[in-house]
Amino acid sequence: MLEWLAAYGLPVYFAILVIASAGIPFPITLMVAVAGAFVDAGEMNFWQVVVVGAAGAAIGDNIGYAIGRFGGRRKIDWLAKKIGGKDKIERAEDFSRRWGATGIFLSRWLITPLGPWINITSGLACYSWMRFAVWDLSGELIWVTLYATLGWAFSNRVQAVASIADNLTWLIFGIVATVVMIIILIKINGRRKSGLNRRAGQESV
Amino acid sequence: MPELRDSDRQRFARRRFVIGGILVFLLLFTGYFGWHTVQRARYWREHKDEPIRAWMTIGYIAHSYHVPPPVLKQALGLPANVPDKRPLARIAHEQNRPVEELISLLNETIEAERQQKPPPTPGGGT
Repeated sequence: MLEWLAAYGLPVYFAILVIASAGIPFPITLMVAVAGAFVDAGEMNFWQVVVVGAAGAAIGDNIGYAIGRFGGRRKIDWLAKKIGGKDKIERAEDFSRRWGATGIFLSRWLITPLGPWINITSGLACYSWMRFAVWDLSGELIWVTLYATLGWAFSNRVQAVASIADNLTWLIFGIVATVVMIIILIKINGRRKSGLNRRAGQESV
Repeated sequence: MPELRDSDRQRFARRRFVIGGILVFLLLFTGYFGWHTVQRARYWREHKDEPIRAWMTIGYIAHSYHVPPPVLKQALGLPANVPDKRPLARIAHEQNRPVEELISLLNETIEAERQQKPPPTPGGGT
């Protein structure tokens, strides 16, 4: 893949970012860092790497969103009509409306493993496409700038930078997920206590 | 109604069990990647050399291996003093030979060069 990048430059860079952001896994962290190293070597231009990269990634993300919105939504509505669960879908949509922007933005550059999932779920929840696109593009700009700069600064060690960064994003993902689970556990415990108390109260009456 | 209370308790216990399981998994997952991140960082601190890949340029390899670029260019039959920013893949394509051949040539050249002039010791030097 990186040979294609080396041989054909920006078009390959753009195409791979579109495909990978739409959900097909490619080592794109390494690719953006290598593009940054090519900037240092005079092979590529920094602003082109940032602009074309962010555009490619954003287009891929919007493909993911469209798949969720047009491919999955109809099936979900159909299922909800058949077997019920409309309230649950509405709750999920509420959640997406409240946390959507934060989730979209952070999953672009900080918790990147979540990216493709959030694209599809945002589409499924019919989150405003305009807002999705704006938060998505701003997040992707940060992501590309971050890794292109790292690749440019450590241009003789990009493989090191990318392998550490890849592990680090999974570590951050693990920490965030752990914290979320602990919060859910505390909430459930609280609900259990109040629920049992309520029942006990009803019984004693 | 004690049955209802029991079923409630069971439901909460089951839910807690599932979430506890997920939590244990997440802790293991986080620990694994934390450990891996540290290992990677330590590995790259100690190993200055990156394995040569087809996307690398001569300048990149020379920089990474602390070898003068003209030596590497000569090994590939390129003019020593003309700046060359092409990646190995493109050089190989233009020279009509497999990129693996260039990589093994470069590795041999670097090895020979190092026997003459050992590189700075890893982690030391400052």
